[in-house]
Amino acid sequence: MTGRERVLDAVRSAVRHSVSMPGAHPAPALDGSFPTFAARLAEAGGEAHGPFAPDALGAAVLAHARTWSAGGRIVVEPDAAPLLGPGGYEVAAPGARPHDFTDVGVAIARGAVAAAESGSVALTGREAPDRALLFLAERVILLLDAARIAGDLGSAFRALAPDALRFHHLTWISGPSKTADIEQTLVHGAHGPRALAVFAWRA
Amino acid sequence: MIGSSTPSSSVTRFANRIRAILSCRPVVLPLDLQARAVLPDDEAVARHDASVWALRRKRDAAAAAVPDFEALRERAAAIKDHALDHLDVYLERFEARAREAGAVVHWAEDAAALRGIASRLLAERRVERVVKSKSMLTEECALNPHLEARGIEVVDTDLGERIVQLGGEPPSHLIVPAIHRTRAEIGALFHHRMGSPEGETDPERLMAHARGDLRRRFLRAQAGITGVNFAVAETGSLVIVTNEGNADLGTSLPPLHVACVGIEKLVPTLDDAAVLLRLLARSATGQAASAYTSVLTGPRPGGELHVILVDNGRSRLLASPGHRRALRCIRCGACLNTCPVYRRAGGHAYGGAVGGPIGSVLAPLREASALPYASSLCGSCTAVCPVRIDLHEQLLAWRREAPAAPPGLLHGARVAAALMERPRLYRAAGRAARLLWPLLRRAGRRGPAAAWLRARELPPHPGARFGALFARRAREGRR
Repeated sequence: MTGRERVLDAVRSAVRHSVSMPGAHPAPALDGSFPTFAARLAEAGGEAHGPFAPDALGAAVLAHARTWSAGGRIVVEPDAAPLLGPGGYEVAAPGARPHDFTDVGVAIARGAVAAAESGSVALTGREAPDRALLFLAERVILLLDAARIAGDLGSAFRALAPDALRFHHLTWISGPSKTADIEQTLVHGAHGPRALAVFAWRA
Repeated sequence: MIGSSTPSSSVTRFANRIRAILSCRPVVLPLDLQARAVLPDDEAVARHDASVWALRRKRDAAAAAVPDFEALRERAAAIKDHALDHLDVYLERFEARAREAGAVVHWAEDAAALRGIASRLLAERRVERVVKSKSMLTEECALNPHLEARGIEVVDTDLGERIVQLGGEPPSHLIVPAIHRTRAEIGALFHHRMGSPEGETDPERLMAHARGDLRRRFLRAQAGITGVNFAVAETGSLVIVTNEGNADLGTSLPPLHVACVGIEKLVPTLDDAAVLLRLLARSATGQAASAYTSVLTGPRPGGELHVILVDNGRSRLLASPGHRRALRCIRCGACLNTCPVYRRAGGHAYGGAVGGPIGSVLAPLREASALPYASSLCGSCTAVCPVRIDLHEQLLAWRREAPAAPPGLLHGARVAAALMERPRLYRAAGRAARLLWPLLRRAGRRGPAAAWLRARELPPHPGARFGALFARRAREGRR
């Protein structure tokens, strides 16, 4: 018998298939507004800016990125570049290796959806094909369509494109990397980014 | 003998219960009954208590901020019950979908099988350097020592895990592994093992030092090993939650990702995972969400993903209608943070990978354990559990089903039973105790029970036997 058969046999003899799935969870109807999202993100240690008019977004983001990068590399995921317009950054090359991003100052990517209740933004492999970039960069800026904010996490999952899981990853980001492992003292920048900003726009 | 007293008397019934306890197999109890100094002094106990209680209070505030929190708990419990009762279906579905997405799925019936599969995967690829993110399952299965014995460098990357790894000790909390350590202790440890400046105790600078050291290890690692918070059957996805982003670096830099998944982690759909995720961080640390929640489906481009589904006793729990509910656990640690025993004893007192109420519920599954006795049965754990496990009822049930009373309790129970079966001797002992009471109070501080009595005090004696007090109360009541 293989390990697979031994595990499955033991499980099969233990279950009854009699406990049915609970009915739908009543929609919590939480507030999905930008101010609520921004407040929750601030609690998670991040900062929210905007919402900007689409043609003002690029200038605001790039000014922030230049301050944060202090002359270091600014790398933009291909999907976010059209939102920024030209100027002062490199676009991640298709097929780049994760180790190409070890010295990035600021990474910029577009978020797919957001959940206001926790100030979280989701990105898939479509928006962020270079997943390591989101964690190796010293600081991260996410661009978000303010119309794509759901109230709670469940609604936000359902608002994702149907093919969202066809990509290798779907990553929810809620503020910068953090730890409180030393005497419960909160420290930002545990392994990943030390700071996170979300720039929203509204068409 | 029992037969000499009236069979129906309450004293006899009580004596019978005590005799039931006496028939148990005694085992070593690692908690303070055994008087092992885990938290070194009263100050350490107070600090530990305050730290974990702060987490409990944050959990309460986070729960209160969600209008449907109680409904979520109900639903989470129902989802887990359904998933567990159809676990064979969901395991096979997960396996099929994960394979379609490009993952290789392995099955391990026990800890040895997990160790074997993991070390074979690494050996085949000549892996010498592994970065690991937090996984209580690999602690449970003692994976690290097994790999290290084969010459593989295994680096725990969660800061708390790294601290206990460098210190050569097991984690003492599910979520905050080094919660029993002070900044001064961690500073000294980092100085000796990582070369940080001597005397450095600032958490921010200590973290910066660890970040630099671990970043180098992330970049040169050949494989990343992770645990998993949830495995989604519908899509074959793995859900991994961290605050530090360590699991994300560990899965996006090395070419090989080995994910170790307890079979109870299966949920039917992503929607179901969302319900559990909304409870997890709130119950654990009081955050609305952890910094990173990653849903990984298949290997990263150019990489390999191997998923090891591990039983290691879980199917036995599943087969027990009384104990199956313990498999709902999502390892948030809320029951630890609220437990009056855990808060004062610390996680190491439990002597296993998982401490606290849930650890005491899971321990008897693997070996005779006195841990179910390490509880006041106050039910605070049950009140905060996000998946509504009836933890204190489970502890009581284990005492009934697999009794393994601590030796101290056994001796006490033997004496009590002998006395209660002999009414005259019982009264004589009472008289003697009343006379010797002040002596007993003093002597207890030195004898074999001294450590146990450090935090306990014999109350002053009321001065008369219970029967006399009761009769007086009855007379006064009539007047």
